[in-house]
Amino acid sequence: MADPYKPRAPFAPWDRRELPGLFDVEESARRIGNYKWAEMKLFEALGGWVATVPELDVKMRLGTHCYKHAWHAELWHKRLPELREMNPERLTQPANDAMVRFVEAMTEPEAPEQTIEKLVGVYRVFIPHFIAAYTFHKNNTSQITDAPTIRSLQFILQDEFDDWCDGEMLIQSLIETPEEIDRASAHQARLEKLMVEAGGIAGPGSIGGAGAGGAA
Amino acid sequence: MRKFFPVEELARDSRFNQVTMRDRMADPRSALVKDEPRQKSNRLVPSRPDASAAARGLMHGIFVGEIQALEGAGRTCHDFRTAGDSARRAQDDSHGEDSFADTVPFALKLDMARQAWDEARHVEISVKLSDWMGSEIGEFAENTVLFQAACSTDPILRLAGVNRALEGLAIDVFTTMKEFGDLAGDPYLEFCEDWMLADEVTHVKMGSDWLRRVTEHDPDRRKKALEFQSVVDKLFSYGGTRSDSQESPIGLARRFRELAGFTDDEVEDIAEVSLAALEERKASVARMQATAREFAAS
Repeated sequence: MADPYKPRAPFAPWDRRELPGLFDVEESARRIGNYKWAEMKLFEALGGWVATVPELDVKMRLGTHCYKHAWHAELWHKRLPELREMNPERLTQPANDAMVRFVEAMTEPEAPEQTIEKLVGVYRVFIPHFIAAYTFHKNNTSQITDAPTIRSLQFILQDEFDDWCDGEMLIQSLIETPEEIDRASAHQARLEKLMVEAGGIAGPGSIGGAGAGGAA
Repeated sequence: MRKFFPVEELARDSRFNQVTMRDRMADPRSALVKDEPRQKSNRLVPSRPDASAAARGLMHGIFVGEIQALEGAGRTCHDFRTAGDSARRAQDDSHGEDSFADTVPFALKLDMARQAWDEARHVEISVKLSDWMGSEIGEFAENTVLFQAACSTDPILRLAGVNRALEGLAIDVFTTMKEFGDLAGDPYLEFCEDWMLADEVTHVKMGSDWLRRVTEHDPDRRKKALEFQSVVDKLFSYGGTRSDSQESPIGLARRFRELAGFTDDEVEDIAEVSLAALEERKASVARMQATAREFAAS
């Protein structure tokens, strides 16, 4: 048996985590407040739409996904006080007005004939932007100081990938004609423009570039 | 998307047929309306001559009830904002829809989202069980009274009506179906019902807990919510379908109701209302039979 008192390196040779990260505490909290707000809007929309879609399989998936996004919002809600924001509501805000307009436009379709638009907004625009913002955050925050955020991001990203796949398969199964392709594309383009104006889930700098902010 | 969604617009595919509660109870396949001589017990047990059809009908009722419960929980996630949601408040203001009663705690919304997932699973389970029992979607009609209880504009009334009254009824229904599965030697049915029963106890407990917490300093609102719950309880006791009497197809699951946060007094109240509804229906059937006899004799 190896000598238990023999000095060992604090970080094993295979542990390559780094201390520096792109975000300071405030920037991390700001982004997480934006994530929480956006996840809340998503679970509210999914829950509200359940009664409006006639397709039974879609109805059930929306109900299931509604909970997942509520759980993400809960994880972010709990993380905020750990980042010195003792009043989580203060930072639970949209990144900017364009993000509010995006959510309004995404939740606009209500008629039972608009399932394609509902799904396109969520699974071809909103969730891909969540995946982008979360991936950027996970890959750029300090792997040691911000490990609790990374752990949440990993759980959440797994959900987002699963739901993205579910949603995309539902969309593909619903689109049967060239007119439906046009409907889906037009709605996606309209929403994507608003999302670009917003700069992403956490505003400009959601996936780096201008406004990425924080301390290195 | 509108803030409150009317029951008449619930979206369904072409297989579904929606009827009123009265129409559904008048369905000749319904448990209490029979041409044959009256049985000593109407409780849903495998020895009942019409057990197979009655169980399939009840399972279909569970299936459509779960869809509406899913829709109701989803709407509660959407229709009410949290107190700190200033963006939503501005949006509601611009539509003239803002009021203090529309705000709910964040954790309440999280519970409703969790319930939506649970109800979605229940739809999945009941659709598979219906298939297992040999019936299909649309074989029986759907009445939408459950979702109606989820249309209140006061979130606390919704919780009282849906989580306490209707989910409470679900506890009774699942207990009866679980026992049916046990007696019929159907472990598949018993297994699934037991899992759904666990979820329903959780949902009723959520309702009980939130009702107490949100109305802690507002006795009038609590009173109003409990009155609404009684109305829904009475509505769902229509025809005495659920009571302690063996003449009711579904029994009152007292133990599980206690686990879910009902007080002894509350359980006794529901038992009384249910028995009264059964007697009311028996009297109504007797009146109709007398009229028919008079008509035949004339």
